[in-house]
Amino acid sequence: MSKKMIALIILTFKEGVRDRALIGIGLFSVFMMGGALVVVSLFMRELHKVSVDINLSAITFAGLLLTFFVSINLIAKDMDKHTIYCVLSKPFSRSQYIWGKFLGIMLLIIVAFGILTLCSSATIFFIKSQYEVYFKGFSWFSFYTAIYAELLMFFLLNAVVIFYSTITTSSFITLLFSISTYIAGQTIEEVVLFLKTRGAADMVLSEGINKIIDVAQYILPNLSVFDLKVQSAHAVSISNGYLFSITAYSLIYTMILLLVASFIFTRRELK
Amino acid sequence: MRPVLLKSLSPLFLILLIVLCFLVQKDLAIKREHFLEKTYMDYTLPSKVSGIVAMEFKGIVSDFLFLKVSTFLGDKFMKRLMLGDRHAEYIYNSVDVITDLDPWFWDAYLLANMVLSWDFRKIDKANTLLFKAREYRTDDFQVPYQIGFNYYYFLKDNTNGAKYMMEASKLPGSPAYLTSLAARLFMYQNQYKPAILFLKDVIAKTRNPVLKKRFETRLNTLIVLDDLEKAVDKFKEIYGHFPLKISDLVEKKIIEKIPQDPYGGDFFIMKNSRVFTTSKMVFKKRKPSQEKQFDSSN
Repeated sequence: MSKKMIALIILTFKEGVRDRALIGIGLFSVFMMGGALVVVSLFMRELHKVSVDINLSAITFAGLLLTFFVSINLIAKDMDKHTIYCVLSKPFSRSQYIWGKFLGIMLLIIVAFGILTLCSSATIFFIKSQYEVYFKGFSWFSFYTAIYAELLMFFLLNAVVIFYSTITTSSFITLLFSISTYIAGQTIEEVVLFLKTRGAADMVLSEGINKIIDVAQYILPNLSVFDLKVQSAHAVSISNGYLFSITAYSLIYTMILLLVASFIFTRRELK
Repeated sequence: MRPVLLKSLSPLFLILLIVLCFLVQKDLAIKREHFLEKTYMDYTLPSKVSGIVAMEFKGIVSDFLFLKVSTFLGDKFMKRLMLGDRHAEYIYNSVDVITDLDPWFWDAYLLANMVLSWDFRKIDKANTLLFKAREYRTDDFQVPYQIGFNYYYFLKDNTNGAKYMMEASKLPGSPAYLTSLAARLFMYQNQYKPAILFLKDVIAKTRNPVLKKRFETRLNTLIVLDDLEKAVDKFKEIYGHFPLKISDLVEKKIIEKIPQDPYGGDFFIMKNSRVFTTSKMVFKKRKPSQEKQFDSSN
């Protein structure tokens, strides 16, 4: 990796850190984790499940806010506010710009995940020390595995954001497309599974809709494969094969999106 | 002059507003309680919808729905309001959705089982959920244990009762008494002993104070019933025949006095010489007005 790329990655990271929204997102997540201390006491016995559910949801939610409100600003606003001209006047190729931005954003998300994981580990550790008896079904390994899988999802989602930033002209449209892709990616599996059930067989769906769903399930990223939160809450073991597959899926899909984004961006006429 | 006056009055005005806000909030809380009582939505979205809407937050959504169901039940239990078939449906459907979102969620299965079997006698529904749990919680002895107990105690099916208790005894963490209980289940036919053991086990692991109290009341009643049946057997041993009334046990000084039923009923000896209570281990309704209110809210 060239020095120029590293400089761009660090610049993007620093720009992200300076965003005030970051403090709000961090505080919100920490409050949510703190809320777990109160909420768990309302449950019967599976306190470990509730603690893990709340903490993992807080981390995911923070990641989503970061992606949709900070990441998008870091690239799409460059084009919105024409600051991209300053950046591109430097000796960068356009594809270097895309990769540098992506890696800078990911560095920001990895650091944020690291801090939030520390906070949530402290919260769970505290709850565990209070209710040791109700934590027999808890596993730190499963907990961190779920966070790792979530991080893989954010690799892919941020690549989606970068991709849309290169084909649209406004940060709002990028936000709208990214949120839509996230929702569709999270639900497509459920919809396809539902259509395979017997109950759905009675539903009359037009050929067209069936075709759209068929095509969509292969084009859209299946983001639900990265959701291991429920399994982690019950310390259900995940095979290494599965973890390897989701890692490969995330990396390959991300690379495809970034390559296509670079291809489009190098040919795009900036106005 | 006027701005100075306004300036000096503004902190006072602020304090007044805070006090007013507090009073309004207090009043609103009371009104809200009545509002919720009358308009409570005892309906849970089917999992085909809630599963899609929850996206990757299925775990936390299942926690929220579970909290909603247990609050609903806790409220009804505390007010000792009668629960009807509609409520059984609501609990069954809700727990079905909750366990679609998180199929390992044992708290939800257990709550549904305890309420559907003991309070509504809907054993088929309770067992349907337990068999669903059995698919996912393959290492948990509690699942076949609860199924076995339902077969034995409620359905009077000792063969299946023993089968599932035996299955439970082979799983890790099962209590030592389970193997002998499974083996002697036929011997315990029509006895309260397994129910006492079962409830003790449930109470030991329940944290919810309302549910715990409810289970403890039931356990205390079962202990009294068990003691009375032992006294009836002793009577038979001494006099060669079973007593006809509980008071016979007092008259012959086998027991000191007739114990009180925590549910407010009266103990009696059935034709088959077993002891039971007129309360059927269900609390009597408190006030007719409450019942009326409950009916109107549904």
